[in-house]
Amino acid sequence: MAIRDDFEEVAGQVRLVLHRFALVVLVVAAFAAMLIGKADTVLVENARVLALDLASPALEAIARPVAVANRTIADLKEFATLREENARLREENTRLLAWQTAARRLENENTRLRELANFREGPEASFITARIVGDSVSAYVRGALLNVGRKAGVEPGQAVVTGEGLAGRVAEVGDNSARVLFVTDVNSRLPVQVERTRERAILAGDNSALMRLTLAQTLQGVQRGDRIVTSGHGGSFPVGIPVGEVVQTESGSVKVRPFADFSRLEFVRVVDYGVTGLVSTGSSSPAATSKGR
Amino acid sequence: MRADGVLAMLDRWGRLLLPGTILLFFVLMTLAPLRVPYIADSLPLLPALAVFQFSLATPERLPGPLLLAMGVLLDLLLGGPGAPVGVSALGFVLIRAAVVANRRYLVGVPFIFQWLGFCLLCFGYVFLVWFFTTIWTWTDIDAGPALAQYVVVVVAYPLIAPLLARVRPRDPLNVPEASRGTATPGETTL
Repeated sequence: MAIRDDFEEVAGQVRLVLHRFALVVLVVAAFAAMLIGKADTVLVENARVLALDLASPALEAIARPVAVANRTIADLKEFATLREENARLREENTRLLAWQTAARRLENENTRLRELANFREGPEASFITARIVGDSVSAYVRGALLNVGRKAGVEPGQAVVTGEGLAGRVAEVGDNSARVLFVTDVNSRLPVQVERTRERAILAGDNSALMRLTLAQTLQGVQRGDRIVTSGHGGSFPVGIPVGEVVQTESGSVKVRPFADFSRLEFVRVVDYGVTGLVSTGSSSPAATSKGR
Repeated sequence: MRADGVLAMLDRWGRLLLPGTILLFFVLMTLAPLRVPYIADSLPLLPALAVFQFSLATPERLPGPLLLAMGVLLDLLLGGPGAPVGVSALGFVLIRAAVVANRRYLVGVPFIFQWLGFCLLCFGYVFLVWFFTTIWTWTDIDAGPALAQYVVVVVAYPLIAPLLARVRPRDPLNVPEASRGTATPGETTL
């Protein structure tokens, strides 16, 4: 009995030492992974893309029922306000019909003037519609995963838009998946212009719901309610995609609320403008182009 | 040792694989486009909760290398450009080590103590991830959203933990030595 107890004691001690040693090894391995990630970014990017491609079928399987549930909840909410919503929409419709007439007139006028001036239109954009299969939203990232990738023609740097406006930019692309970096992400720097004054600026995300507008010249010209659109500088984005609206101009900083509602995105469109070859991959490209100007 | 029927084998394998599978599920759920306010915020910390809870009951079924792999996978899937890969792995491994080292305070004690333990360890985890992300990207990252996540997951703990706690071993070796008595491995308690 005593021998057995001794044996168990020794075995326990050995196990303890092994456990301690195992912990050290694991901690070292975790640090090694971090260091490798810092040293070899290409390897990590490839690993990310591989992980995304592998996880994307599972995510899609999860995303569908979740989307159905979300839609049901949204539907139920809408039922409650159906009457008011209808009245509001009817009113908006009359207003929009007036706008439509104005737009038709302007379009005709524009075409005729362009013909007169021999104006050459930029390249036509084509769209790839994608389902959002994953949110990569945490305390540190604002983004999403799409179920389309290189096979569908998605390339890093392409613009991602919703019905309301610009959502973000394609950051990483796998064979059948892609990661979008939202305009609100801390790594996002977007060349924009104020629609009313045509003043150029850089729109920077900071992981919060609002974005910060850094103007090239002054802050004076900007007013609350001004629309911010892409300026097309940096190459990959078409000109004039609506991004957001100025909501705050106090204390020297201009805050912009994005038009895209990130909390209920389900489908987005990836815009292929045919000029993405100009930008390199990764997060540095918009910042680099903005510095270059 | 035991009659190796097909069912018994399935049972054993199921028990062996369940914690890892649930952890993998939580890692994938982190990315699920769940649009429920508050719940969606807590998702990134659910893997940490699973690691804590399974380390209480069945640490041998969540071996360190598995935690390392899951943590790296989580970082790869969730991380934006420049975020450190492996910081979640480090956090998972440390949570497991801390739980295993402090079993006498965390296992077989009233639930409130486990909750308290989770609050402490999860705070450590959140701080670790925030600290390394800040250092790694060398930007001033607002700790507010991370703290909000922490509060949500701490409040959600009593809802989720009892479900995960159902995955527990059959043998009574997971009770503190004092109350273990004469029970031997393989003996069923309940």
